Amino acid sequence: MARYIAKRIVYMIITFLVVITFTFLTMKLMPGTPFKNQNRISPEQLAQLKHYYGLDQPVPIQYLHYIGNALHGDLGGSFQFGMRPVTTILAEKAPVSFDLGFEAVIIGAIFGILLGVIAGLRRGTILDYGTMFISVLGISIPSFVLAVFMQYFFGVKWQLLPLAYWKGPEYHIMPVIALAVGVVANVARFMRTEMVEVVNQDYITTARAKGISSFNVIFKHSVRNALIPVITILGPLTAAIVTGSLVIENIFAIPGIGSQFVDSIVTNDYPMIMGTTELYSALLIIMIFIVDILYGVIDPRIRLAGGE
Amino acid sequence: MALSNNEITKEMFEPVAMSSSESEAIVGKSTSFWKDSFQRLLRNKGAVISAIILLLIVLMALIGPTMNKYGIDDQDVVRQNLPAKIPGLDKIHWLPFDGVENNVDLYQTQHAKDNFWFGTDDLGRDLWTRTWKGTQVSLFIAVVAAAIDLLIGVAYGGISAYFGGKVDNVLQRIVEVIIGIPNLVIIILMILILQPGLVSIIVAMVITGWVTMSRIVRAQMLKLKSEEYVLASRTLGASHSRIISRHLLPNTLGQIIINTMFTIPSAIFFEAFLSFIGLGIKDPVASLGSLINRGYGVMQIHPYQVIFPGIVISLLLICFNILGDGLRDAFDPKLRQ
Repeated sequence: MARYIAKRIVYMIITFLVVITFTFLTMKLMPGTPFKNQNRISPEQLAQLKHYYGLDQPVPIQYLHYIGNALHGDLGGSFQFGMRPVTTILAEKAPVSFDLGFEAVIIGAIFGILLGVIAGLRRGTILDYGTMFISVLGISIPSFVLAVFMQYFFGVKWQLLPLAYWKGPEYHIMPVIALAVGVVANVARFMRTEMVEVVNQDYITTARAKGISSFNVIFKHSVRNALIPVITILGPLTAAIVTGSLVIENIFAIPGIGSQFVDSIVTNDYPMIMGTTELYSALLIIMIFIVDILYGVIDPRIRLAGGE
Repeated sequence: MALSNNEITKEMFEPVAMSSSESEAIVGKSTSFWKDSFQRLLRNKGAVISAIILLLIVLMALIGPTMNKYGIDDQDVVRQNLPAKIPGLDKIHWLPFDGVENNVDLYQTQHAKDNFWFGTDDLGRDLWTRTWKGTQVSLFIAVVAAAIDLLIGVAYGGISAYFGGKVDNVLQRIVEVIIGIPNLVIIILMILILQPGLVSIIVAMVITGWVTMSRIVRAQMLKLKSEEYVLASRTLGASHSRIISRHLLPNTLGQIIINTMFTIPSAIFFEAFLSFIGLGIKDPVASLGSLINRGYGVMQIHPYQVIFPGIVISLLLICFNILGDGLRDAFDPKLRQ
């Protein structure tokens, strides 16, 4: 187990280095400059600006410099916010995105598990088909299309919910639902498959034969065991939530990292783009790592050391 | 004991008037794996309906833009922002095809003689033509991306599994690094260097997309490689290429098809996603994502501009997913539960 964890940590570091290097090279290859009104700047001024931001040094030097600074937690200053440190801006915006993502995952998981359990127990009935049809819809319809439609109907046409911004609880409803639908659908599907499998196991028959109440059989023996494999989809789900948050935050004007990221792409704010991609990558890479380890810890049947 | 009185004698038996070759004969028609799978697929109503809807959408993507006289970039501000109007359906008022917006028949006030089936945008471009042309572009991107994923993935996974040992070790270490990189980040960065456009979207999606396919092919081939019939074939002196093309590939094909059926909708989604955040297809070319993006800008006043492309993309993705599920159940009934 310890060997496996060590191996995974090494891979994690390599992957992360690849991402940083790739991000850095991309920024160097990107067309355009981060300076506004480039035509009005004289070559001397441009040279001075480049010198100020350290853009006149050879690329390898800039790279080493960047890595060195990054190790100290310094990701440079944002071009569009007058060189305010990227880490400060990210730290400022992260809680909002985190709230949004966290609420979506929690609500999505609760409803997903509930629907999956119902569908799995009532396999082959209309309830099952209905739930699975809804989950196909949830997996298929892109979160931003759903968000746009919801915003039009609930916000514009019927005026039931606030159109945008991130203030009171009622402002959370639409963005969280838009993000959570995909989670609900994925979790429900997975949960259903696992439930169907678990319900047919011998130990469930034994439990029933021993006269344990249906409630206990379902919740203590079936659901708990069916839940274990559901952990594995936490990694892909986090990725989906991050992807979704980019557009959802934009649509609902939520001041989080996602909408900030799209802004920095449009304004060629190199340090901001790099900082955000690195944050996202770190988040996802660590998430996958945690899921793998957690899976092995919770379910001793999975032999990590010998596994692929 | 009563039983001991009834002795079983030889006379009690008489031969069945049938030879063993007759009684053991298989009466039913023999079906191949593919025929069998296809029949299973036909029994799945959802998959069949999805396939039909998909065919219709593909057909409309091909002939839709030619069904009226407007090109995708024919602009005329005189007829800007007209709501959808379809003759015949315009009598049914709960359908959005009556050409009326806020109780005003804009076709009368703007003196438009022709009907625009999906309406027009702010430049007076016909949205029927643009929606179907956009569907064409979205489908093209998705199918090409999926095809390239397939080629690279099958080759990489196949080589890795078949040759094993050191080759496999090196190739899989590379995969382990690539699979850890979030594809969202890579896709966005690639688009930034390559400039938004058709080719760059495809390249960006393929760069990380092939890994999934290669893993599936590798896993399947590793399993097949140790099967007895492969060993038999090898013993008889079959070449690498013969074993791969006759034994390994055909038995992996089901998995490859299933995975491709799920790659296509995810590619459609990513293209729309990129276009929606402004990194995708640029005017005058349209894709479903860019149409939704444009329509979203005027959604509060002219909702029909976002609703039609939104419905088309949702239908496409739903049908691909249901058909993909159907194919998976058909090819591998063991998985169906």
